[in-house]
Amino acid sequence: MAQPIVSVTDLSHVYMEGTPLAHQALYNVSLQVAEGECVAIIGHTGSGKSTLIQHFNGLMRPQTGKVVVNGYDVSDPKVDVKSLRRQVGLVFQNPEDQIFEKLIGDDIAYGPFKMGLPLEEVRERVEWAMELVGLSFEEMKDRPTYALSGGQKRKVALAGVLALKPKVLVLDEPTAGLDPRSRQELLERILHLNKKEGLTVIFVSHNMDEVARLAERVFVMANGRIACEGTPREIFGNREILREHHIGTPESVDILYKLHDQGYKVDLSAYLPEETAAEILKLLRG
Amino acid sequence: MEKGLTVRKIVIAGVLGAIAILLGVTRLGYIPVPTAAGNATIMHIPAVIGGIMEGWGVGMIIGLIFGVSSFLNATVPLFKDPLVAILPRLFIGVTAYFTYVGLKRTNEYLAIGLAGFVGALTNTILVLGMAVIRGYMAFGVALTTAVFNGLPEAIVSVIVTLAVVTAWKKLGSGKQKSKVSGGL
Amino acid sequence: MSAEFELSRNITIGQYLPTGSVIHRLDPRFKLASFAILILAIAICGTYVGNLFALAVCIAMFSVSRIPLHYGLSGIKPAIPFIIILALLQLLFYGEIAEGGTVYFEWGFIKISSESIRLVLVSAMRFVEVIFLSSVLTLSTSTTELTHGMERLLGPLEKIRFPVHAFSLIITIAIRFVPTFAMEMEKMMKAQASRGAEFGTGEWWRIVRRTKDMLPIIIPLFNVALSRAEDLILAMETRCYTPGSARTRYTHYKAKGRDYLALAISIALAAAVLAIPW
Repeated sequence: MAQPIVSVTDLSHVYMEGTPLAHQALYNVSLQVAEGECVAIIGHTGSGKSTLIQHFNGLMRPQTGKVVVNGYDVSDPKVDVKSLRRQVGLVFQNPEDQIFEKLIGDDIAYGPFKMGLPLEEVRERVEWAMELVGLSFEEMKDRPTYALSGGQKRKVALAGVLALKPKVLVLDEPTAGLDPRSRQELLERILHLNKKEGLTVIFVSHNMDEVARLAERVFVMANGRIACEGTPREIFGNREILREHHIGTPESVDILYKLHDQGYKVDLSAYLPEETAAEILKLLRG
Repeated sequence: MEKGLTVRKIVIAGVLGAIAILLGVTRLGYIPVPTAAGNATIMHIPAVIGGIMEGWGVGMIIGLIFGVSSFLNATVPLFKDPLVAILPRLFIGVTAYFTYVGLKRTNEYLAIGLAGFVGALTNTILVLGMAVIRGYMAFGVALTTAVFNGLPEAIVSVIVTLAVVTAWKKLGSGKQKSKVSGGL
Repeated sequence: MSAEFELSRNITIGQYLPTGSVIHRLDPRFKLASFAILILAIAICGTYVGNLFALAVCIAMFSVSRIPLHYGLSGIKPAIPFIIILALLQLLFYGEIAEGGTVYFEWGFIKISSESIRLVLVSAMRFVEVIFLSSVLTLSTSTTELTHGMERLLGPLEKIRFPVHAFSLIITIAIRFVPTFAMEMEKMMKAQASRGAEFGTGEWWRIVRRTKDMLPIIIPLFNVALSRAEDLILAMETRCYTPGSARTRYTHYKAKGRDYLALAISIALAAAVLAIPW
């Protein structure tokens, strides 16, 4: 690909190196993400996903190997980490826990103010970020943070990161714990951020429907390594891969496999709900 | 108000006690501000908060946990003496409670802030007092420490206590408009 | 580099070193009482030889409990600069107050006498002894045993309506949550750093500013604590936990001969420490 925005080469990481509790979390991991892509990282707990993404914004430095994000070499001890963290917005799981200000506007403005931006620009960014996540700036900016629902709090937290205007958005389980409606809405917003605002999106997920919906490419991690990568069509359509790495499937794919096993002729590379529906219709029409 | 008579009091005391211990063994307990000791500590604040939220009994118990943790983790000989490390700490939550209750009707924020202040001072004065009585410190040194370490610590205490208790009680911060609304 | 976000490495609560020694196997009630008696004696004793004897006893404890002495020494090591500074300060400034004894040196308000020297040396020894003893105690007793022992020992206080059970439940809850909160805070520090927070920077005199900089960590810490508390309260009430109601116990401790012996020995040692007149 043309100069990738995220480039990981032979990255390894050992926790508590040198102690009896040492544990290697990453073994020579390499991957690349092009600017504007939306990729998913999937894999079991303990496969190294969290460790990997924490290298993207400098929370962890490569022990061996190289990580270059938007021109920043994360191994360089002199790299401007603060600047890197503005370019790469890392959103942890349950980000609503990090809200600490009393008023919504204040919490979202925290990052921009810390950047030293003047009030005018901070206000612009807060308004922009809030509209992007679906919170009305005028209505919500002066409201207290404790009176929000879970889904709304998550939006506030996300807005707080977006207000930094990152080029890359890294999300760990973005919809974990949300009700179905909020989940749908959040996925729509992330899609919009990727397609319309041009943010490169990298997300970790256990939810295969989410992966099918958003991702252009999927990296499967297992035991600290990238086990395989491909498009959702390639991954979900290949039973061998699914079985070998114990990958779940989106509901739409699940239905197709069940139909196939019963002897019906269906195109197994269909994975989006619309495609599955089309396949079923074809069968029903004979 | 009897201590530990409700499930709520027991659990809150336990949870704030955990924070007191945590603040004592990690860097979280130290706010890097200039004082004679090099840092203002916030380890007494769980006891203050416990006193304000659940009464003097809970405040006393959290103070006890703080004291014992301080005693067990101490590297300074001063705090290896239980009379210095443990006994004074029992009163942090108690004085905070009475301050809060006394001023609650006047103004909630004033009550909380002052309780934080008084709690911190209780810690400073009683600990240093015991240190002098037990002979670890001359009176003059204790006095200077009380002023140059104790006062900044009390200020820190007010800020943190107000921030946390207003969040727990779901009170606003008194401001109606967020900073981004300023000037509009 | 992620060491800047590490907290849990320092959590040594419940650092338990099972060696199977006789001290490990003591009934926790008797163990706590024995250690308490010894520590009390040390706190009172102000004589040279008494403290030397006590020091010898403490060191002997390590070999009896089969715990390597370096565990105790590593507790002392970080404190050595403090001990020295404290000793110097006491030596210089406490002279006026220490009464009696022969004065060796006087200059202005600085008075170094045999009494002030005694104070300094005894303080230092006392400190080392207490560290050694508390190390042996915590290394040879699991936290469960410690809380049980404490609960049983304080049992009689129920008679004067001191809520012993509630008290030890509080301790148990506190100890249980320390590692949990430590992990949450590590994560929180990373999350806040990821959205632009900075801790520990800014001009040194700006107390208010630097305190406010820590709020993105402190406030979520207490919020997480409250949220866990609410969950636990609900769980306990749902299981019909009623404070103050009569309860039976799951673990039972039966005192053995060696427990009484240990107690007797500690009383004897304590008496010896206090009886020595020099």
